[in-house]
Amino acid sequence: MKELIEYIARSLVDHPEEVQVAQRNSGGRVNLELQVAKEDMGRVIGKGGKVANAIRILLRVAASAEGKSVNLDVIEPK
Amino acid sequence: MAEPITSMEITAQTIEEAIENGLAEMGLSIDDVDIDYLDEGSKGLFGLGGRLARIRITKKGSQPVIIEKKPQPAIEVSQPGIEEETPAKPSRAEAKPPKKERPVETAALVEEPELRVARETVSELLEEMHIHAQVTSTFSEVADDKDLPGVLVEITGPDLSVLIGRRSETLNALQYLSSLIIGKRLEKWLPLMIDVEGYRQRRERQLHQLATRIAEQVISSGKRQALEPMPANERRVIHLALRDHPAVMTESTGEEPYRKVVILPKK
Repeated sequence: MKELIEYIARSLVDHPEEVQVAQRNSGGRVNLELQVAKEDMGRVIGKGGKVANAIRILLRVAASAEGKSVNLDVIEPK
Repeated sequence: MAEPITSMEITAQTIEEAIENGLAEMGLSIDDVDIDYLDEGSKGLFGLGGRLARIRITKKGSQPVIIEKKPQPAIEVSQPGIEEETPAKPSRAEAKPPKKERPVETAALVEEPELRVARETVSELLEEMHIHAQVTSTFSEVADDKDLPGVLVEITGPDLSVLIGRRSETLNALQYLSSLIIGKRLEKWLPLMIDVEGYRQRRERQLHQLATRIAEQVISSGKRQALEPMPANERRVIHLALRDHPAVMTESTGEEPYRKVVILPKK
């Protein structure tokens, strides 16, 4: 799942080297935190969250294959 | 839904309705199937106590579904284990001279960048999703707009229903993200359609039948009728199917993802 979101995010942004993904597992739940360069935020979120929602849908497929649920947050760079 | 449905049971108010619904669901015509009448149903008194009609529809033989409705772009069937694919015939809209015959082994060399990038992007995404499938790409006319040559990426393989999802949600997400990535790689927007095991073709035919059927009901009742919520590309099929209809018109109402088409009588 981490690889999937890294692949998608790096393919969409102008600064792939700044893509970072943190993964935390708690039981059957996987929490993913995606961090990208500030100017790339719009590319991975999209108008009305359209891109982020499409990413969530594909992550759900990958997660359910492992019998897990997944949560994705896009966070601001520090 | 990715696996072609070969047999299903349908219950409806009448036998006719059950057959119609079943054929639409399976994307088949009456000639393609055998029908078992499990329960003819009964009307009951004043609509009370009636039994529903129940039938089983089974596809004849195991031939793939052939859709004769309109000519499809040349679709290359890739063999498992063979990476190269012959490029599609350029669509007429491109007005390119026809390529001379070429041996298969040089096919990869003449493959258009659009086809290569589209195919590779989708393959890579599937790989990251741990889904094993064949991916081919061809030029095609996207939807009904003949001025817009786009790329059709076809995914084939076993157990791909997860790639479609509820109301084709997953397929649309895959298509949307793929088109963004491909657009970025090619540095230009490329109309893209992704299909899984012929799902979109089947679905489109089913939507056409639905549009025609509901339009007839609207005409005979004189009352507007709302369809189920659908994604934008499916609503478009309904709008286009009834665009030139003499007696009904269509509009969309509601908010995504529950936006739906309403069919109403023309004034």
